[in-house]
Amino acid sequence: MSEEKKEHKKEEFEPKIVGFLCNWCSYAGADLAGTSRIQYPPNVRIIRVMCSGSVDSMYILRALLEGADGVFVGGCHPGDCHYIDGNYKARRRMVLLNSILETLGLEKERVWLRWISASEGQKFADTMRDMTDAIKKLGPNPIAKHWNI
Amino acid sequence: MSHKIIKVKDNDVVGSINEFLRHLLESGKIHELLVQQSTPSKKVAFPVLISDAKKLHSDVIAPIIPASTAKIVSKITKIQGSPKTIGVVMHPCQIRALIELAKLNQAKLDNIVIIGVDCLGTFPINTYADFHVKKKQTELLLESFTKKNDEVEKHLRTACRVCKDPIPTNADIVIGLYGSDVEKEVLIEAHTEIGKNIIESLKLEDEKDNKNREKAVKEIREEKQKKREEFLKEKGDIKGIEKLADFFDKCVNCHNCRHACPICYCRECLFDSSVFDAEAYKFLRKAENKGLVKMPNDSLLFQLGRMNHMILSCVECGLCEQACPNEIPLMDVFIPVAENAQKEFEYNPGKDLKEKIPMIVYKEDEFTEVGEK
Repeated sequence: MSEEKKEHKKEEFEPKIVGFLCNWCSYAGADLAGTSRIQYPPNVRIIRVMCSGSVDSMYILRALLEGADGVFVGGCHPGDCHYIDGNYKARRRMVLLNSILETLGLEKERVWLRWISASEGQKFADTMRDMTDAIKKLGPNPIAKHWNI
Repeated sequence: MSHKIIKVKDNDVVGSINEFLRHLLESGKIHELLVQQSTPSKKVAFPVLISDAKKLHSDVIAPIIPASTAKIVSKITKIQGSPKTIGVVMHPCQIRALIELAKLNQAKLDNIVIIGVDCLGTFPINTYADFHVKKKQTELLLESFTKKNDEVEKHLRTACRVCKDPIPTNADIVIGLYGSDVEKEVLIEAHTEIGKNIIESLKLEDEKDNKNREKAVKEIREEKQKKREEFLKEKGDIKGIEKLADFFDKCVNCHNCRHACPICYCRECLFDSSVFDAEAYKFLRKAENKGLVKMPNDSLLFQLGRMNHMILSCVECGLCEQACPNEIPLMDVFIPVAENAQKEFEYNPGKDLKEKIPMIVYKEDEFTEVGEK
């Protein structure tokens, strides 16, 4: 990273968000946002997964321990899951993850679970904007500077 | 259900229980027994699978739990349910673990007769093996129990000190110590039809009244509950990355805790798999991101990841802590997290075989605050 860029980083904190999007709904929603040329902050790094229910909380924990400022999980609306009930299970996992995040001392607002359908390009863009703003308010992930973990 | 007693001769509690167990084996109602017995060196008592009643000299109440008996039952029955009746003599925490393993399809309970023993607590394996007190371990334990002093308290493992429930639940037969005058008699209770059939065939003496038992059980449960609450209050503040990083500082990523844990059953653990293998540049980049990074890395990720996978079924047996080569007091973190997470799902591991584990069921209109606001 050049010195110039580092300077810029100090001026305004740009959060890094890892996004796990389900193949059938949220990823298509993100795709629609793109093809419709809807603008949204570029802070999210998208990883396509087959189902929100396939996101082991381990991967979320790993992203956070490696220094991601936020993690987004997008799934189909309740009742619309391509695999019938993956999103309901994802929701239960999120409840469990929250008790571990509490131990880790991280705000649970750093991990978002939202339902975005393939037709909701606008909602995807809006959600990304909201999340980026929310994480900016929370500030950088305090774990990022810890090397002894 | 049926309540019986066995008379204790010459103040020899262990001997009398042994006689009862031999009786069980000889009756033919039970073909083999899994029970802990001292090794020839007498340093430890290990679970043994025993078919010959003459060779049975078990140490049922010896305060040691070197390996998870739930895991042993799983190992025996996972591929094929037992064709013969096995009586498994277990600590209450291990019965809870066995119920969880059965729910996870890791053990078949057909032909398994669970014989639960009231737990008076256990020592860490090394404390037991190198016991410097003049009395023998079991003697001290029983003396402390009958005289109701806390001589033994300082030797107990943390998990036992703040035990969730030292009285067996879900056992077919219970060998009861609380509420009986162990110098004279030990209680034998049948809690299921299977247990009743076996007990009735043995021609034991009937118990006169079990009010004492009920009272003593209530008392010990309350006492342990109180200690557990104090413990939760005291340890509940190990939170935040600073404290957690300090706490796990000595972790060398050996994964012994996972091997000892009865709940961790995965044939190939994610953390032993190639998921975390990466190209050299990724390791170098990690160092570049933070300036430096501790190696081997990912020890906290392992601990939290394991916690995330097993905490809802955690029966708080503390075998993880006993297995740690660097003596990290794992229960200090795992008990508070287990308490919170299990409360969230109103789930009590090991309580009911029919209750499904929380991660495989769901309701459509629950936890709506977690997904969409």
